[in-house]
Amino acid sequence: MTFKKKIFEHLLSIVLITSLLGSLLSFTIKDKNIQKEQSNEKIEPYLDMSFIDFDNPFDRALLIDILNIYEPGKESTHEFLIRTIEQYRKTNLIEGLENAYRREQLTPKKWQQLSIMYAQFILIYIFVLILTYYGVQTFGTLRFIRKQQNQKSHLLCFLQQLCVVPKFKRFMQYVNYYLQTIIHIVKAIMITLFYFTLFAPAYVIAYSLKTQLNTDTIIFMITLAVISNGLLITYTNKFYTFLVTESRKGYVQTAIVKNLNTSYKREKKSGISYASVFNVRKHFPNHIFQHIFLNARYQYLQTIKEQASFVISGLIIIEMALNIQGHFSYELLKQLLYKNYDIVIVIVLGIFYLVKFTEIFTDWITHKESLKYENIELVSIL
Amino acid sequence: MKKFIQKIKLYSEYIYAQKDKFWLIVWLSILGLTLIWNILFLNKPALRLVIEGFLNTLYISALVVVFSFLLGWIIGLLVVRFESSRFHILYFTLTFILNIIRSIPQIVGILLGYVGITYLITAKILTDTWLVMTTMSIIISLFIFNEMIDLIRERINHFKKLDFYNAMKVCGISENRIINFDILWKNSRIHILNKLIAIFGSAIFLQCTIDFIISVGLSTQVSSVSLPTTLGSLLAKIDSKQDILAIGNTIMNPSYFTHIFFEHLQGITVAFLIIFTLLAVYKISNGFAERNRL
Repeated sequence: MTFKKKIFEHLLSIVLITSLLGSLLSFTIKDKNIQKEQSNEKIEPYLDMSFIDFDNPFDRALLIDILNIYEPGKESTHEFLIRTIEQYRKTNLIEGLENAYRREQLTPKKWQQLSIMYAQFILIYIFVLILTYYGVQTFGTLRFIRKQQNQKSHLLCFLQQLCVVPKFKRFMQYVNYYLQTIIHIVKAIMITLFYFTLFAPAYVIAYSLKTQLNTDTIIFMITLAVISNGLLITYTNKFYTFLVTESRKGYVQTAIVKNLNTSYKREKKSGISYASVFNVRKHFPNHIFQHIFLNARYQYLQTIKEQASFVISGLIIIEMALNIQGHFSYELLKQLLYKNYDIVIVIVLGIFYLVKFTEIFTDWITHKESLKYENIELVSIL
Repeated sequence: MKKFIQKIKLYSEYIYAQKDKFWLIVWLSILGLTLIWNILFLNKPALRLVIEGFLNTLYISALVVVFSFLLGWIIGLLVVRFESSRFHILYFTLTFILNIIRSIPQIVGILLGYVGITYLITAKILTDTWLVMTTMSIIISLFIFNEMIDLIRERINHFKKLDFYNAMKVCGISENRIINFDILWKNSRIHILNKLIAIFGSAIFLQCTIDFIISVGLSTQVSSVSLPTTLGSLLAKIDSKQDILAIGNTIMNPSYFTHIFFEHLQGITVAFLIIFTLLAVYKISNGFAERNRL
């Protein structure tokens, strides 16, 4: 699909969903008013009589007498009417007290509140997206380099060292040997804990740290959104897969023949240094990995749409599960609970716009990148 | 004896080399150990709840896999068919709807679906627990099955570019057979299986999360309608939450570490089951992809 077609489809879906949810919104608001009107229809004229105090038994008796004189033969209906009025006023009072803090409408003040929450949500979302974009590429690269270095797992090293103990002449050699074994198991435990953190749902981490940290801060939210819910690990794995697939392609073999650097040792001159892996702008000059990385990143760009949706889901989970008040997603949950569906629709629409905007932005970036690569291809052909 | 040890060693190496099988064994073994520990130290009612929650979670996730597979296969085929048909508008409409579903964050879509379930339970339309769980899995699969469609389209489009597709067509073999049998069954079965394993993991995560959110956030609604016990809803219980809070206490007070495996077993077990299952499913899926060089 061409870029223009993609943009057209995005805009069309925005228009369609806006009109669909917009009409649902107006229907919800209208329905609220109709429900109110319908429930009052029969007794409304009597409630409007300001000169009758319905709390006063004398006034109520007087009203029944007047109605009986005005409409003779309908005594039971009039008594039922008065009972209904009494019941209505009672329920109304109780409901009013109960729902005073629950019922909310889309007033200008509410719009303002929602806008602030939305802006905050977008800001957090952008931060998380940038951090995961960096994290995914860094950890994916690290994993790939470890694989190229043929590093064994620490647990396996520990078991091997424990099972096959060589004979040493000196005692200190034994100490060193067992110290290394212990280091392996400690590293294995730390990696396992790290994996557990990466796979843990945000609410498990947050609740386990609740007694020690203030979990309602924005910084904690951002950190949690990046490391938890399996977000970082899932996309790191995806990026790693792209790197592996690229490394198996023919051009890599050609580049090796052309004498490009292929060493994955931790050296600045002949291998790959940690500094270049952790750098924000990753660059591996004269190394084969530079080309593998660029091609993998190009493929990864296309998955950002999916990742963005995942990030938004993660943020919603954090805000809802931790009941972080005053935040956009918590507001959605609250309004769902209080059945203020008009506000729910507005919030859902806001989230939809954010996803769509990200999709358009990603498509634009991918389009720009693909243009660049097409040019490169043309130059190389020429 | 030496021979026996040698045999075990060889077999262990063989299993370790096949990471998916290795992790499946690890997962099942650790689950078994957790069960034994819980039988020994957790009270009976809580143990019954944990087992019920875990089995319900697995059941719903397995159903999500089945529904996603069926929906993905059927709709994927429709998309491919419409793509090459004269009625291009059908292709555009279908992909347009699928893209809209894709643009709704899964958690929001599932949450709104669950609100519908609570309404159906309150209105006594959904009364049977199994039916509730099936409805839950249908809702979750509605927001996951797009992944399956993407895979099916990718596989079909890949094979359509190869010579064998046209050669088979020239030989008079029907397109349905080529796509369903030769492309998807014979040449993409492993890819589909790998995707289904990943979907199983996503389903567990989404289901636990939504149940946790519903139980914490919409507690007043949920108390009136009883949703089936799952790991997510169990974790949201106040005693489980206190158990999880105990982990934080252990960070500052390491001597408390041993207590959490005896005094806070319910919450710790539930949290562990969720995290470890997610980790194991991820490792199985990765190992499977690695073994089959996907």
